[in-house]
Amino acid sequence: MASYTLDALGLKCPQPILKIAVKAKDLQEGDMLEVLADCPSFPDDIKAWCDRTGKTLLFCADEGEGRHKAQIQF
Amino acid sequence: MGKVAIVCNGSENSNVYPSFIMGSAAAASGDDVVLFFTPGAVPALKPGYLEGLTARGMPPMNELLEGIKALGGRLILCELALEAKDVTAAELRDDLEIGGATSFMADIKDATVTFSF
Repeated sequence: MASYTLDALGLKCPQPILKIAVKAKDLQEGDMLEVLADCPSFPDDIKAWCDRTGKTLLFCADEGEGRHKAQIQF
Repeated sequence: MGKVAIVCNGSENSNVYPSFIMGSAAAASGDDVVLFFTPGAVPALKPGYLEGLTARGMPPMNELLEGIKALGGRLILCELALEAKDVTAAELRDDLEIGGATSFMADIKDATVTFSF
């Protein structure tokens, strides 16, 4: 099990999710991915993406100043 | 996952951007994505055009394009466009398939979502 971080700050919808989806191809089941993003739709989008793709969204926290940090278990 | 068929009818940003934004979001969600371009989109399919496309408030087109391709999305130009717009396939981007309407309809018969921009 490995942990990865993806910095999606400054990227606009749907780029953060697109980056996650491309990154996901290299991850194994059980891996953790932490994502930082400041796209306003990110909290809803990451929840929808995890629901659709069967990943576990451990949390998506408001970090202030429009930033969000999400942790996803693959 | 599902299949999403998107028809792009022109080369303006208002044609191209929504096609690639919806297409990349669908590909990211695990859908098979087929982008079908009608003759009006030919100017956007010249080599390098999409790679250099930016617009205020929009993600760089290159990022959407690379994402769609990395996730298996397909770009297909209507074969009628070649004669209609007096171009050859060699003059267009090399990741573009040339296909007919019948093949496209067969490809997308199980698409659950379709868009036309």
